Amino acid sequence: MRPFEKCVFVNCPFDPEFRQIMLAMVFTIKRLNFFPRLALERNNSAESRIRKIVDLIDESKFGLHDLSRMESKKANELARMNMPFELGIDYGCKHMKGGKWSDKRILVLDTSQYRYQAALSDLAGSDIRSHNNDAKIAIREVRDWLVTESLGTGPSFRALWSDFNYFNAFLADRLEEIGSEPEDIDEMPVPEVMHYMKEWFDALDR
Amino acid sequence: MSSKAKKESVHVVSRTDGGWAVKKGGAVRASKTFEKKQEAVDWGRSNSIKAKAEFYIHGKDGRIQKKASHGNDPHPPKDRK
Repeated sequence: MRPFEKCVFVNCPFDPEFRQIMLAMVFTIKRLNFFPRLALERNNSAESRIRKIVDLIDESKFGLHDLSRMESKKANELARMNMPFELGIDYGCKHMKGGKWSDKRILVLDTSQYRYQAALSDLAGSDIRSHNNDAKIAIREVRDWLVTESLGTGPSFRALWSDFNYFNAFLADRLEEIGSEPEDIDEMPVPEVMHYMKEWFDALDR
Repeated sequence: MSSKAKKESVHVVSRTDGGWAVKKGGAVRASKTFEKKQEAVDWGRSNSIKAKAEFYIHGKDGRIQKKASHGNDPHPPKDRK
């Protein structure tokens, strides 16, 4: 069982355009010795998705919510409601469940800083951060949040960005070793990428 | 970590200010910085050849765009003498 104080629920888009930003955030969380918790971590068809998400929120002190897909890009495309919905569950858990859950910490990210004011005005007055669809900025925001809310200090944002680049090189090499192509990284299940992150951190810290 | 990851390496990576940097594997500080990516690629490539290192070109998001090995051929040609 992972400790509540070290678990970070990651609520973000799982589409291909967002994948590298998601991996950058997951990498930062793991590098700072927290446990990223994603709906993708379990693949049990017998379990309903909403039940899985409620469990993850319940088990995590930290909640990272990315609202990048609140707006549709094309005509006839609908905005994605899952991320704001899950933010609402986390917010409700913090304010209504009591006990250790009242100490939950929440970071809301978006592609731009003030778009939520029109789409999700209930959050007015909250401190929303933006990553501008840039993996580097996403790393900095997640790093600064965890350092401020828990660690007090930690590796610099520049060091984390360098490490993330080196990890990408390591992963490309590992895939080559097992007979895969570099583009297979884009299809690799996220838990498997996280496994390789751990392998790389273990070697780095040895 | 695999033995491959322990090889010397040279990376072209994007900088926070929009420019590009050439870094040796494991280093936080850049060996040299550039405004244009192509300049970083040219300088990084010649350095990786000198150092017989793996050469990686990263995209703006950190992904590997291109890789070249210099001097690490695991199956070198046999001596004919």
